[in-house]
Amino acid sequence: MTVDAQLIEHMMNPKNYGSMESADTQGIGKNPENGEKVAIYIRVGKDEEQPYVQDIRFQAIGCTTTVVAGSMLTEEAKGLHFQGIQELVDTTMNFLDKIPEEDAACSEMVALAIKAAIDTYTKRQEDADYPVITYTVSNSCVPKEDHSEGHK
Amino acid sequence: MQNLMIKTHEVWLEMLMAGFMSNTENKQVLFDFSDILFRHFTWLEHEVIELGESYSYDRDAIAIKVDRLQDILQDIIKKLDVLDLQLLSSPDKELNARIASDIHYMRDVLHHMNDEVVTAFNMARKFPNIDLTQEATDALTLFLFEETYKEYELIMIYNYLKAHSDDAYMNRIFQILIDESFFHLKRFGDMGAKMGILGVPRVIMKELYQVEDIVQFLKEGINEELAAKEECKKLSDAVGKDSPELAKFFDFINHQENYHISLMEDALKYFDGR
Repeated sequence: MTVDAQLIEHMMNPKNYGSMESADTQGIGKNPENGEKVAIYIRVGKDEEQPYVQDIRFQAIGCTTTVVAGSMLTEEAKGLHFQGIQELVDTTMNFLDKIPEEDAACSEMVALAIKAAIDTYTKRQEDADYPVITYTVSNSCVPKEDHSEGHK
Repeated sequence: MQNLMIKTHEVWLEMLMAGFMSNTENKQVLFDFSDILFRHFTWLEHEVIELGESYSYDRDAIAIKVDRLQDILQDIIKKLDVLDLQLLSSPDKELNARIASDIHYMRDVLHHMNDEVVTAFNMARKFPNIDLTQEATDALTLFLFEETYKEYELIMIYNYLKAHSDDAYMNRIFQILIDESFFHLKRFGDMGAKMGILGVPRVIMKELYQVEDIVQFLKEGINEELAAKEECKKLSDAVGKDSPELAKFFDFINHQENYHISLMEDALKYFDGR
């Protein structure tokens, strides 16, 4: 990771770090190779019936790069409608091959956790007991759903 | 009771951060006070367990970015006042009196502590009297963020395990590992403050300390210690050309990890033999 002032600021004071008691939805991104994971908590607001990210928090079992990615991406996600979140996730995923491989897995894990949270919310509109979705990082960047953990 | 424990956790960390910010004789006093507050935290945790309440190590974010030491000391004094009031409503009067007496003394000392200019947040990333290359500076920066958090994480994990164990053999091992991690945390935090990149370690996720399989935890812990040794070796190599003194320090930390591994292996053998 190239260290600059902006990155150091995120390391010293990660934005939106922590859990959220009143979250409307959660999502998990994980790396099965090393046990690292990211949990995303979102409070969903409604703007003309369109859901949007009113507030967002994240927690991580992972390295500093994951925390920096979580801090940056959750800041970007705040206030976005779900369509905007999907675009943020897509943009991040498309960017992964332009950064070092070890950093790519961390950013991917955060992006997939955000996607998992949005997808969990959508599923729960039909089934309120739908479990928290977990996506695992992969080289092809295609999310694979895993129901082995994370029940509501 | 839980809230009192959480608020004590927060003040303990804030006092420790104030210790990192100081460059005078205040430093050791603040470190000693943070040690006292950590002990209060463990006593309160014991009470919470005795009362059968479920709890976690979740806490609020702690804002520490100040220009002068007095700014954070005043904030700590306010928080100690709140703790003092909260103690009145908790059930164990003897414990409360013991903690309150410590709080009153610490508050008085903090009131009279000399002010200092704080440089721990200036992001200068320069060690006094040491010129590191950009590459070595970046490597050291990342190491300090990773390992400061890691040492805090280890303290909390071993503390949780110790709090839930009546086994004298294991508790001896847990206590040694807590003490060793405190030493590392203080050294790395101090270095972070000198570099102008001091940050509070983030809250740790419950699943890390609410360990379900202790054997698996110890095995993974040994692997993590081996990885930490490797990181120390890399860092020692990276800074060695510019600062033999820093390289020696990281070699020393590297060798200390051998003892941690040995203790964890002893613990593994102990569990295997049961």
